[in-house]
Amino acid sequence: MSAEPTTPELDLSWLDLYDDPTSAEPTKKGLTLDAIDIGDYASQEDLPRDMTPRLRGASARENAHRQGLTYQTKHDVWADQCRSLYEEAVQRQWSSARDIPWDTLKELPDEKERAICQVATMLAEVEFIAGDVPGQWLPHISGDEFEVGLFLMSQIMDEARHTDVFRKRALANGGGLLQQGAGLGLRNLIEAQDFTEMSVLMHVQAEGFVQSMFRMGELIGPTQADKRIFRMAAQDESRHLAFGVMHLKHVLAETPERREEIHHYLDKAEDRSAGGGSGDVTFPPVFESLCILLGGGKDRFDEGVAKFLLLRRRQVKEYLHRLDVAGLGDRRERLGSALAQYAN
Amino acid sequence: MAEGEPTEGPITAEMRAAAQALGWEEDLLDRAIDWGYSPRTVVSALGTKLAPAQAKSFLDREPLKPDLTWMDAPTEWGVRAEQADADMGLTVGDIMVGSYGEIPDLWTDRTEIARGSNPQVGQEDMGYTIFEKAVVWTDSVADLYERAIRDRWAPATDLGWRSLEALPDEVEKAICQVMTEHSERAYAEAAVLGRWLPEISYGFVEMKLFMSSVIYDLARHAEAFRKRALSNGGGLGLQAPTDLIRGATEARTYPELMAYLFVQDSAFLTFFRHAGDLAQNQLERDLYALVASDRERLMEYQVERFEAFLLAMPDRREEQQRYLAKAEVRLAREWNDPAVREPLILLLGGSRENVAAGEAALTALRRRQVEEYLGHLDQAGFIRSRLHSGLAVYLEEPETAPA
Ligand SMILES: [Fe+2]
Ligand SMILES: [Fe+2]
Repeated sequence: MSAEPTTPELDLSWLDLYDDPTSAEPTKKGLTLDAIDIGDYASQEDLPRDMTPRLRGASARENAHRQGLTYQTKHDVWADQCRSLYEEAVQRQWSSARDIPWDTLKELPDEKERAICQVATMLAEVEFIAGDVPGQWLPHISGDEFEVGLFLMSQIMDEARHTDVFRKRALANGGGLLQQGAGLGLRNLIEAQDFTEMSVLMHVQAEGFVQSMFRMGELIGPTQADKRIFRMAAQDESRHLAFGVMHLKHVLAETPERREEIHHYLDKAEDRSAGGGSGDVTFPPVFESLCILLGGGKDRFDEGVAKFLLLRRRQVKEYLHRLDVAGLGDRRERLGSALAQYAN
Repeated sequence: MAEGEPTEGPITAEMRAAAQALGWEEDLLDRAIDWGYSPRTVVSALGTKLAPAQAKSFLDREPLKPDLTWMDAPTEWGVRAEQADADMGLTVGDIMVGSYGEIPDLWTDRTEIARGSNPQVGQEDMGYTIFEKAVVWTDSVADLYERAIRDRWAPATDLGWRSLEALPDEVEKAICQVMTEHSERAYAEAAVLGRWLPEISYGFVEMKLFMSSVIYDLARHAEAFRKRALSNGGGLGLQAPTDLIRGATEARTYPELMAYLFVQDSAFLTFFRHAGDLAQNQLERDLYALVASDRERLMEYQVERFEAFLLAMPDRREEQQRYLAKAEVRLAREWNDPAVREPLILLLGGSRENVAAGEAALTALRRRQVEEYLGHLDQAGFIRSRLHSGLAVYLEEPETAPA
């Protein structure tokens, strides 16, 4: 080979792809996804959606492979505010190892420790599927709606933390895991055949029911650590719920013809389980452990039952409120019987 | 009865008024007390604002007696996990104690049972397909997961966006092209990994926790690269070549997926470790370093998982050569793609006038990537029978390295 230096030719056609110089400005919250949603790079309504791995705004390669079927309209997956929900998720990550005051755990009467461990067992189970389900849908979201994908990826992280924090709780204070939950309603989340079906059943219904329970964490949790776990998890769930409510709202506004179809998903789910994908709280081990915690002991079980009924009422009331916000206020008239009894 | 007037027994006038306002049967409260409900319970029921029928079905009957058999579920009881390292807090590793820390070689429960809890008979099969420990597991997953959480960072606020200054047009566009490519690659890898989560059974929950952190890391990488492309007078360039990621999508099993991704995970780790050489400013140096430190964890998993897998399933050793070869061939091809190669030449050389120096530097970087890749395989105890020529060429003497 010659020692003479060569000046190879470069193609450089990739330099000629830029129309508008783009300089997003950082905001008070840093350089956010909203800040970079500008110009040619902003979310678009134009069809069709890209089925290659290309993310919105990059120039397409002519020979790019398709990567499998993705949704073809923005409405199928979009939720307004998914960008800010993602940014909030990134800012509000917490650590189950270090942000829970584990040192405030104290020895509890056996029945209370068993009750909180039973609740933790059920939640360690329920939270597990909440990561699988978004994972399942990632490949079906076009790079044109990559922010939805980012949000789901942040949810996967949140749900991992929820799975781990309840497992930690069960094993941190002289207890253990107890009885597996009823499982009812969990499978319908992974059975969903459509993104909106999944989101309504998981984000709005199942996570909504869980959220109403977490919000009663001050009454349920016997120690400061428990109360804090419920508070921190509730903060995450509110994002997941917000995504679901905003997605449903978007779908109903943009494709009102889907209203009956969505009711139909809910008809099925409400029939199937009192917990609607949140794990069945009426399953005896869960019901009884919640009543012991809410009432303050076995000997005050009745009082616990009264508060459990309050929990059920809140779950249903908040569920209907969220559906109302999303534009599905008429759900109230056709609520499944297991839930309707609490809807007054 | 007038308000505040004392009443007989445990039921106050306020309680009666509340019951009346709710439309409850007139003597329901008295019957509830007769059944043995405490006044506190009646007050709680009133506070719950139960509908009349509901109130009746709750209070006008013998109080429910809990069954409580779940309290005696035959699981390990009396566990009090201790923090091994106070700085790390109560980690997932800390709670892997007693039976709760036992990861069976073959997990057989097809339901969503939390490992270590007592099975409820009659549960549905959740459709998991991965039940063999050797396929997914390595002992460091719990630790890697907690490290991911401890070392988390936020692209929006942990990078000095306001420090960016205008760069020569070609330099900015070269950076933007690199960012476009890697934003897409990170996102696509996360999506592929996400699709595998529902396949993995609860027996290996700690591994799924770690994989969730990897997906979240990759999401932030995709986000951060995009933000850099759109923040300094450039934009997005040409999408990444699609062959390499396509092979990951094509994987039929998790071991295939991981062996295939081993190649790019190794190559990208080395790339970001050394990408400081491309950086034009502190923001980019910080960004590459943060990405590299996240990718260190992924590679640690990759190496350890591969090693454990090969030890447990020696008959599958030869098969892995195929997956690695498939990835190598595509990686080598993509390294020669002008939109992949040329921005790096410009950035490493400094300008269009310095192409030869840029090429030499890129060849050195590629060589390092190949060497470290073989090093990673070596750490996993795997001998690559025949490295693909498109990568092997970088290991030859510098004089004969590809132009
Ligand atoms: Fe959750
Ligand atoms: Fe959630």
